[in-house]
Amino acid sequence: MGESKSEIGLLGYLLPFLAVVPVLYLLDWESHEASILIVAVPFMTFPVILIAGQIYNGTEYWKIKLKEGGILALGALGVSLSASLWLVYDYVDSLPNFYDQQSVIQWLEWVSFDLLQSDYTLTSGTKILGMGVWIDSITLMILLVATFLCFLICWFSLGYMNTDPINEDRNHRFYGEFVLFALGMFGMVLADNFLWLFIFWEVMGLCSYLLIGFYYWKDSAAYASKKAFLTTRVGDVFLMIGLFILYDIYGSLEFSVIFHDPSLDGMVDSNKLFWALLMMFIGAVGKSAQFPLHVWLPDAMEGPTPVSALIHAATMVNAGLYLVARMVPFVDVGHHGVAGLEELGLIIAYVGGITAFMAAAIAFVQNDIKKVLAYSTMSQLAYIFTGLGSALWFYNNDEHHAAVVVFGASMFHLFNHAMAKGMLFMASGSVIHEVHHAHDHLHHGNHDDDFDPQDMRNMGGLASKMPVTATAMMFGSMSIIGIPLIGGFWSKEGIIAETWLAALEHEPLMYGPAILVLLTAGMTGFYMSRMWFMTFAGEPKSEVINHVHEETPWIKMPLITLTIVTAFGGFAFALLGATDYLSSAYDYSGHLELHESTLLSSIIAELEHAFLPEKMNLRIIGWITIFLSFIVGPVFAARIHGGNLAKGESSTPLVSWLVSLSSKFGSQDVSSLAESELSVALQNRLYFDDLYEGILAKTVIPFSEFTAWFDRKVIDGMIKQIESKSVFGSVQVRNLTTGSARDYILMATIGMLSIIALLWGLNS
Amino acid sequence: MNSIGQLSLDSDTASSMMPELIMILGLIAIVLVPNLGDAKFRLPLTSIRVPVLLGGSRFDLTNDPRLPNRISNLTFSLALLSSLLLISESPKEVGGILMVDGFSRLFSTMFLGALLLVSIATTHRLPAKTNAQVPKESDSENVFDRKISILIDNRRQVDFYILLIMVGLGMTMMTMATNLFMLIVCIELASLSTYVLVAFHKEGPSGGEAGAKYFIVGSVASAIGIYGMSLLYLWSGSLDLEILRQNWLSMDGVDPFAAFGIGMMLVAFGFKVSAAPFHLAAPDAYSGAASQVSGLLATASKAMGFLALFRVLVMITVPEGSEAIWMIALSIFAIVTMTWGNLAALTSENPKRILAYSSVAHAGYMLAAIAVVGSGISGTGQSSIILTAVSFHLFVLVLFKLGAFLVLTLLETEGKGHKIEHLHGLGRREPLIAGSMFLFVLSLAGVPPLSGFLSKLLMINGIVSTSASTGSSSSADVISWAESVDPLFWLAAAIVLNSALSLFYYLRIGLVMFFEEPSTEKPLKAAPSLRMAIFACALLTVLCGIGPVSEWLLGTVSTAIDSFMYQ
Repeated sequence: MGESKSEIGLLGYLLPFLAVVPVLYLLDWESHEASILIVAVPFMTFPVILIAGQIYNGTEYWKIKLKEGGILALGALGVSLSASLWLVYDYVDSLPNFYDQQSVIQWLEWVSFDLLQSDYTLTSGTKILGMGVWIDSITLMILLVATFLCFLICWFSLGYMNTDPINEDRNHRFYGEFVLFALGMFGMVLADNFLWLFIFWEVMGLCSYLLIGFYYWKDSAAYASKKAFLTTRVGDVFLMIGLFILYDIYGSLEFSVIFHDPSLDGMVDSNKLFWALLMMFIGAVGKSAQFPLHVWLPDAMEGPTPVSALIHAATMVNAGLYLVARMVPFVDVGHHGVAGLEELGLIIAYVGGITAFMAAAIAFVQNDIKKVLAYSTMSQLAYIFTGLGSALWFYNNDEHHAAVVVFGASMFHLFNHAMAKGMLFMASGSVIHEVHHAHDHLHHGNHDDDFDPQDMRNMGGLASKMPVTATAMMFGSMSIIGIPLIGGFWSKEGIIAETWLAALEHEPLMYGPAILVLLTAGMTGFYMSRMWFMTFAGEPKSEVINHVHEETPWIKMPLITLTIVTAFGGFAFALLGATDYLSSAYDYSGHLELHESTLLSSIIAELEHAFLPEKMNLRIIGWITIFLSFIVGPVFAARIHGGNLAKGESSTPLVSWLVSLSSKFGSQDVSSLAESELSVALQNRLYFDDLYEGILAKTVIPFSEFTAWFDRKVIDGMIKQIESKSVFGSVQVRNLTTGSARDYILMATIGMLSIIALLWGLNS
Repeated sequence: MNSIGQLSLDSDTASSMMPELIMILGLIAIVLVPNLGDAKFRLPLTSIRVPVLLGGSRFDLTNDPRLPNRISNLTFSLALLSSLLLISESPKEVGGILMVDGFSRLFSTMFLGALLLVSIATTHRLPAKTNAQVPKESDSENVFDRKISILIDNRRQVDFYILLIMVGLGMTMMTMATNLFMLIVCIELASLSTYVLVAFHKEGPSGGEAGAKYFIVGSVASAIGIYGMSLLYLWSGSLDLEILRQNWLSMDGVDPFAAFGIGMMLVAFGFKVSAAPFHLAAPDAYSGAASQVSGLLATASKAMGFLALFRVLVMITVPEGSEAIWMIALSIFAIVTMTWGNLAALTSENPKRILAYSSVAHAGYMLAAIAVVGSGISGTGQSSIILTAVSFHLFVLVLFKLGAFLVLTLLETEGKGHKIEHLHGLGRREPLIAGSMFLFVLSLAGVPPLSGFLSKLLMINGIVSTSASTGSSSSADVISWAESVDPLFWLAAAIVLNSALSLFYYLRIGLVMFFEEPSTEKPLKAAPSLRMAIFACALLTVLCGIGPVSEWLLGTVSTAIDSFMYQ
């Protein structure tokens, strides 16, 4: 698929990796036993890449054949992917019963901590730091998404990273950290207790810092990585506090212990639990970049584009969602949940609604292609949070049916969004990469002009130059917008409709998030279309565009794969009952199967369900959503940014219809709007960064200066004292070692006499 | 004397003494094989020449100077293997003075493992060159000297490995001794050989001096110990450990002969484990000897001393439920030893001396643990946990202490390694070697999840769980608890504080390796088998700290200790 012969040959190195899982299968391993490989193989690979990279840096073989470690990383992720596919295959149809299992296997038992108990047994069941695997439909889905996308993004990186001279001889660092990051996500999803979940969560936090700051010599990248780390850190501290409270309540952090009966026979103090869950939710807010801890995510675009794809699609941002999804058993009053936690659902829904709306609004005015996607990520994740919030609300009010629907829809949206967004980031990477190349080519590597290859105002008309990327991005955008029948449509509808259902039929307070997400649907239609039209439609807005070619190896395969998944995956999985299946984690039954007997009838049933649901309210909401997102948003975008390609240029039929359609709505000049105060405020991200920096400068900085003084003077002073005293003692003691055997014997004699004195004197 | 019976070598005995027999065979082979040649003996009055094979011009195979090393490696490998296989055999008494059981075989496995590592390391430290040439008159002085030294090294291959196998014999035999006399004889067999090994590079600036000092102080300590043993014999009339134990338990009050005897034996064993103030010769010996030999002293030789302490202190003199007479003495010496070792290491500029002092400090930790066994407040279960911890620590010390010395051995192949500057920038020259070295020092410092952490944790845990319960549980505040707790608790506190102090010099090694500029970018010598030994040590250091291997090892050690405690 565009890769030259010699490059394809490199895939031969993958064979031993890909053979691992089949060999284990032949050796009669069980898939859950092999699940340790999902984490262990990357864990063993990342130091190899880093160390080998240090040693062999610059050598021909390392660079050309092993792609500076990229091939090793790809192989390790291939093992993870194949092992998780095996796990999915084994368990997709026969999930263990929720209450019986679910630590399917223990991988690791920290050696004999029981020795600490003085009851003198080397083997007993209590483990403190043990880790096992927890398998339910959510685990399987997120694991599959993460391994699949990590594998594809790594593949993409082979083209993206290794052909950019700026990364030369640094890529081993990229691949090593990439693999560590990926294993953090895999481990977090598989972990069967909150402690290991937290540990892997932190591994991801570390790696996001390292990867966002990959170009650490650029001030903006160093700043962005610091910002991302510190902002998520705020959330992490809260998460940690939440876990402390949780441990205080249950005396354990094991899922199987806690989830067995979260209400402890109704003895749990629901207020305490509320605070625990709220703290954990704040952790999730930080990780998933929700209001008010969202400020790090746009800056995180300073990292290389594959990192953006990794963080915003495959791994880190989903971690927060996963954590919230794990809260369901606490509130599910139908199954030992604790009543009186409705506020939690409301808070989550509100945070989601506000973030969705705000991020979409900011995305209106972004000109950097990656920043648009970043805000879009925030907005879409916020949808999922809204959905999860209403799911928690429903669960806590024992509206089981509605809860199941919206929970499943939220999880399904996670899937659709991850696939689409992973692809969109890679496609934007492809655009940036090629534009950058063309610019280099045109100006012979002269970077003096301030040409920005990420600025959409420099693009336009790329549909004819990059047909594969244009197609991929079109489907990705459609999925995010929720164009009927494609990807995200199948899940977004469910979230919006059920949130409205909660508002209309149960809780007036839910109107807030409900209205916000509905408006956001239309706004999503606008900003995603705007991005596509600005990039691919119309005439080229700079000379550079005429020199763009879509030719970098390794890039197209992931794009094409994900285009297919995005275009058809949503419908296919919807047909298979994905929402029911995903909610089965807390429904205690349910399989992935067709609703109806024949394919045709199930298609019809699914379409009917989507477009003409039984409840009239839902039907109206559904059609308003479609109208806003499908008609209003895109048409406005087309009026402003649409247009035909330059004369003589043509693209593939898959996208040219859209280009020509975009020119049909006339054009509108909005340059005056850009001067308006609201627009300026949006361009400045609603001044959140300034606000935070102002507050920090007033509060934290003076405190830090004080602690720095304390550390320097008091703590260090004490340490220095100890040090100088120790050194003095050391010199004294060493003076006794004279080097003369006579003195040694003298000392030994003194020793002997004192022993005898002690033995005899004390005992006679 | 009772019960020293006839030693008859039936097949059953032979199989349980397999490692020793293998070593004796190796000893014979190492003497004979290099002398095999085409010598013939002419029958008198005839012209028939009968080949006698001994002497004459050597065959190509037997003339190879690398041969002794190979025989030694093979001997130790086979002995190690057979010893490992014998661990789970049922106990068997041999000749009335030896007892082959799981406990003794466990320790002999450890000794043989250490000796195998030393033997492998010596391949490169004392290289044998097949292309040695006799120097010519025309050679310059430098070339002449170098050729001479190669010839000398080739000549003395056999000597080194003979001594090494003798050490092995002494050590493995002492693990089995149930008679104090046999114990001392075996220890002396091993010790005398190590004295020579320390002085082996006598042409160097410090080798001979180090060996002489070590020998003088060591022989004084041995003399005191043997004198103590004779006092014990006077008192008891037998040197059989079981009889000594019974006499001790039935003793009324404390007999001066017994107390003096035990005290003097403590001096001898204190020297072996390098406890202060008997350790003073040790740093000199370690820095003067070749590094792999220093490693042997710091691990196997030390373990031998501790094993003797187990036999004499724990087996003979621990009364049921009351305090052993040596408890306070041992506690004081433990604290002095660990503090002395750590303080002295702090400002040392010679990595070998740093490791030597670190070894002194570790002896202090282990002595503290043993002191608790004699406190009379630890139940059998707790005592056996503590002894398990000490034995486990002795075991894993072989991995990381010897491993660290092997890294220095690698430096020594280039004549370096006795100054901290020689480690500068090792991380850049040899990332893997420096990484292993860092792993070793971290494990010495007791950083999780390495094996040094596990063993230290178990020791401290043993002390704490024994003593902490003595603090009055009713008192709510810390201070009154601290006043009421048994003083033994402060042994654990001393270990923790000392560990904190020790981090300074351990981490300093890491610091200079990774953050200082090397004087040269050139990698070290190839020395493949030495490198492999280092990596094996590093790998096992990790594996024995966490995971199934460590559990297996702990389980094995614990079983062996049980058989020791309840025999």
